[in-house]
Amino acid sequence: MENALGIWGPQAIMMAITASFTVLGLVMLFAAILMKRRWKPSYAFEFGFIAVMLGLVWYADKLSVGTYSAYQANLEEGTKKVSGNYDPEKGQVFDREFTVIAFQWGFAFINEDNEISRNAAIVKPGQKVLFKIVSNDVIHGFNIPVAQITAEIDPDARREVWIKAPDEPGKYLIQCVNYCGVGHAQMKAWLVVEKNEDTASLITDGEKA
Amino acid sequence: MSEKIENFGPGNLAHWKPENIVGTTSARELLFSNDYRKIALKGIFTAFVMLALGGFFALAFRVELTVPDVQMLGARTYMTLMTLHGMVMVFGFLIPLVVSILYFMLPKVMGTERLIWAGAAQASYWVLIVAAVFLVIGRPDFTWTAYAPMSMRTGNPLLWMGHVAIILVAVSEFLAGAVLLRNGIAGKFKLGELPLIGWAAAVIGVLFMVSVIFLGLAGFGLLNDYMQWSKVAWFDPSRGGSIQYFLYLFWSYGHPAVYLPFVPAIAVIYTIMPRFLGHKMWSYWSGVVAFILLGLGAIPIGPHHFQPVHTISGTYERFVQVLTMLVFIPSVLHVFNWISTLFMAPIPASARRAVPFKFMVMSIAFIIYGGATAFLNAQIAPDSDFIHNTYWIPAHFHAMFVGFTAQMGIAGFYYLYPYFTGRMYSQRLGNWHFWLWQVGLFLKITGMGVAGYLYFPRWVYDYLPIPGWVEAQIFITIGGFMIGTGFLIFVFNVAWSASRGQKAPDNPWPLEMEDIPSKATQPAE
Repeated sequence: MENALGIWGPQAIMMAITASFTVLGLVMLFAAILMKRRWKPSYAFEFGFIAVMLGLVWYADKLSVGTYSAYQANLEEGTKKVSGNYDPEKGQVFDREFTVIAFQWGFAFINEDNEISRNAAIVKPGQKVLFKIVSNDVIHGFNIPVAQITAEIDPDARREVWIKAPDEPGKYLIQCVNYCGVGHAQMKAWLVVEKNEDTASLITDGEKA
Repeated sequence: MSEKIENFGPGNLAHWKPENIVGTTSARELLFSNDYRKIALKGIFTAFVMLALGGFFALAFRVELTVPDVQMLGARTYMTLMTLHGMVMVFGFLIPLVVSILYFMLPKVMGTERLIWAGAAQASYWVLIVAAVFLVIGRPDFTWTAYAPMSMRTGNPLLWMGHVAIILVAVSEFLAGAVLLRNGIAGKFKLGELPLIGWAAAVIGVLFMVSVIFLGLAGFGLLNDYMQWSKVAWFDPSRGGSIQYFLYLFWSYGHPAVYLPFVPAIAVIYTIMPRFLGHKMWSYWSGVVAFILLGLGAIPIGPHHFQPVHTISGTYERFVQVLTMLVFIPSVLHVFNWISTLFMAPIPASARRAVPFKFMVMSIAFIIYGGATAFLNAQIAPDSDFIHNTYWIPAHFHAMFVGFTAQMGIAGFYYLYPYFTGRMYSQRLGNWHFWLWQVGLFLKITGMGVAGYLYFPRWVYDYLPIPGWVEAQIFITIGGFMIGTGFLIFVFNVAWSASRGQKAPDNPWPLEMEDIPSKATQPAE
């Protein structure tokens, strides 16, 4: 979810903390089994350990909330346009906007010109893209690995997700990650990032619409 | 020396006299006797049959998944096997195995010498068997989480049998919980002396009885919607139901369901670790507090299973996130307690060579491996990135379920083995089982973690040859087959040693500080 924000720090820090915790625990366990030296830890040691963990929980909560609040703030800024508060002076937050219908089993992408694609969302490198996702049958997932984002969509709700398209032109996977019936494995689509000079005949840029 | 060390408190004495219960029990007695050891053995052996079944399903779809684009099972068969794998392993193997081991241990530790409310334990067993039959006949393909409304629309004509099986599992587990609670508080102990296994049984008994109510309601709601008994559906949004209602109901059971086998497995550690080491646990109250905190935390943190739904940024979501991370604390209290106990005094050579002790140590290693990642999973930001419903999640819960809980159940089984067969298992085969499982589990869990980090989605029977995905799947498959081989060796060991193994001495687990191989292998008769 950080790629969308253009930062990668918080997640790397959390991965490092998790890995060091694992290593610390395993070292303690195998030291207890293999070392000759014996040692009876005091209760203070345990309380100290708990205090460190409380600190970690506080820090992890801070980082996580910071990350997703920034993501959501961007989303709310972008959707103001929809609710009529859009200020043309400031420009659009998102370059492209797709309505996505997740169904058994596939995705339909509807662009600003009401053109539907059953298997691809076509964007330009580095564009900020908003997906407004609905599902009309069962719970689906929506995951774009290259953009590092996952969402789960209930049939009775709408979920908005935004990403920053990769700078390299190419074809990137969009997949469902929630089991949604027997065709789940086929529920895939492509995020197609095409070069700036290429313009597919059917697709126009958001600004022109 | 050994006598003096062993008698250090209630509940940790040398327990039973080894006797050949298995060989002298008729089938009729085994099925219907109310003797606590026979009820427990019935449960344990049924659990291993379920493990064989669930493991066979797993290997079948491991073969399917090894190579992309080659179909052997097809989507519907694959999903049926996957669903049955999950349900059989959790409801049929893990929970019955550790609960049955508690049935075996509790009456002796509590000094009651009989299982109170044995009738309820019998009923719990037979209801579970009926549920298993329903599952095998109905062959549901909606995964063990049975998300509405997908689980009413898979096109399987016998779908209702899956819903009924969910209700039956709830009934069975409610009865098991009542038996555990009653027996956990049965002995005449003062508050500070109740053995930790008693605390565990009491806490988990309550958690069983409270949480399965949610499972029963979820199962009934699914059946109700599928049969269209009520005009307005409970869960199906196309007929006025609410998905969120289902999610909250289901995960109010679904998260405690993780603890239902987990806490009894912890209780087994607290019972057999002092026996092998010959001294008390490092801290009694630390264990008690951890049990109570785990029990209290279980239900409220359920919603972390569907964090990236609807919205991710409300106050309630943040509350769940913090609470989930705080559950780290009771788990660490337990692990800290175990490691400190191992550190306190020299570890007897007799413990080092005992297969149950080895399994216990490695299950602690796996709870560290799987538990540390839970800290990451709890946070909404990484959860909305690569964690939610990718293979990262199976990596986490296989470390906890197989690496910890199942291995601890196996350790308990090896520990009890001389007490119900009168003979010792084969040390050599036990070692083979041990090493195959450790290496296989590590390969499998790490492979799943790597696949998850590369966004491999759960519940697919086929996938694109994306770099890293194929390699990870090959690792998981190799690990899976190593575990399967280890299981076959285990079964052979159990069957062969029951009649040909060495006769167990009066105390099968004596304390010997020095390794005297000749003495260890010498028959006691």
